[in-house]
Amino acid sequence: MANDSAAKAAPETGSEAPQTPKKTTKGRRAYDPTFAQEVFDNVDSGEEIKLCMQCGVCSGSCPFKMDMKYSPRKLFTMIRSGERDRVLSSPDIMLCTSCYRCKVRCPRGIRVIDVMHGLAHYALEQGFEPRHDSAQFGRKFWDNIFKKGRIDEKDVAMRYTLADGLVPGIKKGLDMQDLGLKQVLHRRLNILPVRSIKGIKGLKKMLEKAAAAKHGRKA
Amino acid sequence: MKKYFLYPGCSLEASASHYLISVKAMAPSLGIEWVEINDWNCCGASVSYVGASELQVAVLNARNLALAEAAGGYDIVAPCSSCYVIENKINRELKADPEFMAQVNEILAEDGLNYHGSLEVRHLLDVLYNDVGLDAVKQAVKRPLTGLQVAGYVGCQTTRPFGEYDSVENPHVMDDLLAALGATVVDFNKKMQCCGSGLFLTEMDRSMPLVREILEDAEAHGANVVSTACPMCQMNLEIYQDKINKALGTHFNRPIVFISQLMAVAFGLDPVQAGALNRNIVPAQGVIMDALKSAAVKAAKPAAEPVVIGKLTPQQKYQAFLDLTMAGDDEQAVYNTMKKYLLDKDQVAQIKKTIKEAALDRLSD
Repeated sequence: MANDSAAKAAPETGSEAPQTPKKTTKGRRAYDPTFAQEVFDNVDSGEEIKLCMQCGVCSGSCPFKMDMKYSPRKLFTMIRSGERDRVLSSPDIMLCTSCYRCKVRCPRGIRVIDVMHGLAHYALEQGFEPRHDSAQFGRKFWDNIFKKGRIDEKDVAMRYTLADGLVPGIKKGLDMQDLGLKQVLHRRLNILPVRSIKGIKGLKKMLEKAAAAKHGRKA
Repeated sequence: MKKYFLYPGCSLEASASHYLISVKAMAPSLGIEWVEINDWNCCGASVSYVGASELQVAVLNARNLALAEAAGGYDIVAPCSSCYVIENKINRELKADPEFMAQVNEILAEDGLNYHGSLEVRHLLDVLYNDVGLDAVKQAVKRPLTGLQVAGYVGCQTTRPFGEYDSVENPHVMDDLLAALGATVVDFNKKMQCCGSGLFLTEMDRSMPLVREILEDAEAHGANVVSTACPMCQMNLEIYQDKINKALGTHFNRPIVFISQLMAVAFGLDPVQAGALNRNIVPAQGVIMDALKSAAVKAAKPAAEPVVIGKLTPQQKYQAFLDLTMAGDDEQAVYNTMKKYLLDKDQVAQIKKTIKEAALDRLSD
């Protein structure tokens, strides 16, 4: 990352200072293709964006459309116009519930969900945190899979609750304690810790190897 | 007995334990034998993207596929919709792209595993509808759910995105299965609305209105219970009802059950041992049994004796009914009707009595 030759510097810029879009001679914003290229190269399923024709069906289908400043359609066009910071710091890229409504309706068959998840993953990797709570929860969730091979629901919940320190953790915990208690009383929460899968060592090796490789799927 | 690999997933071991119990209990009635995939791992669900790359998620799921393939050649059945979608997605991608398969297999080799792409991943509803079939389900029913009004909540990932066995916009499989159990399926426009999924916990303010709309729609159409086939849906619709009532001023106390729990009841199995209805946080067993009982009481009542009117055709009878209803107390109109249909006074009195009774019945309903 540090050895920045002039040509390769473009994708790395912007993480410090907010990016100001370049202006053309007529005063209009110029398209900056470097960020789009960065997305195509580095974001899982990022190349899908090339197919977008800006019809907006995805945005209209989203259950959380009312809460989004930048709908998927807008995000896609912002990627094309090079607004790196605004895209990668946008809370909207982490508001996907994976309901797949946009995916089944997209006339171009774009895997919108995979793009959103890819963008969120890349943003977190690049040091952005579009949504703090969901990011914390997701991290604890993945930690659990990586360590045990299975999810231990109470463990994830506990770690998530305490992720921001003891005081906010206790507040969050008190808020949720009745739910936990109800689940225990109805035998839907195993008090004993979930045991790791037998092949956890092998799984860890595989996941580490996969982390180092790039996805080989054709777009 | 037809064998399938069961991929229960993490939820069914904990927060959806009642799903696993009922899925296992009702299977023999339908000639299904489950073989659990040995040492399966989590599919990653819908929030793994935070920590994992697409390739890591693919490897995670390919491991399950490889383990199952090595143990036999049955289809993998995932009762959890999220497991179904992700496991299925990876399976389809691997089968469609030999290069990708080779890449994943190279990683699987770290633990001596290999996947050739011989398996299918299917949802529980798919197997119940297409392999078992509605006729076999009907035959297995020993205690029909007559009188129980059910809203069939399908949710997102049960049919989307692949639509392999049902419509992605207007599904019918869940409703057909419920009807085969003898239940009354209510209209339910929100059957495909998202419940908030894995974001419910972290984005509660936004997710609660989604669930409110779903439950309001089910209740508005007279549902006694809501049926689902997804652990996430069941949890989000059920355990947050108190929080929603508090935050949004609603009064929900609606049981949310798994379709397999209803099947266990309909197949004459024990509602607690086989149906695990005691594990529903919003009590479900009483609501279901009350609905069945009151329907049985209604059915036991003798039907009102049919009116016999002369030798009129059904159309004429109908017309005479209508005319007399319209005539009301107008004597001239009643006389005209009598003349037209050649009715005598007794017959008119009988018809009028029936009309009155029908009206009172309507009022008391």
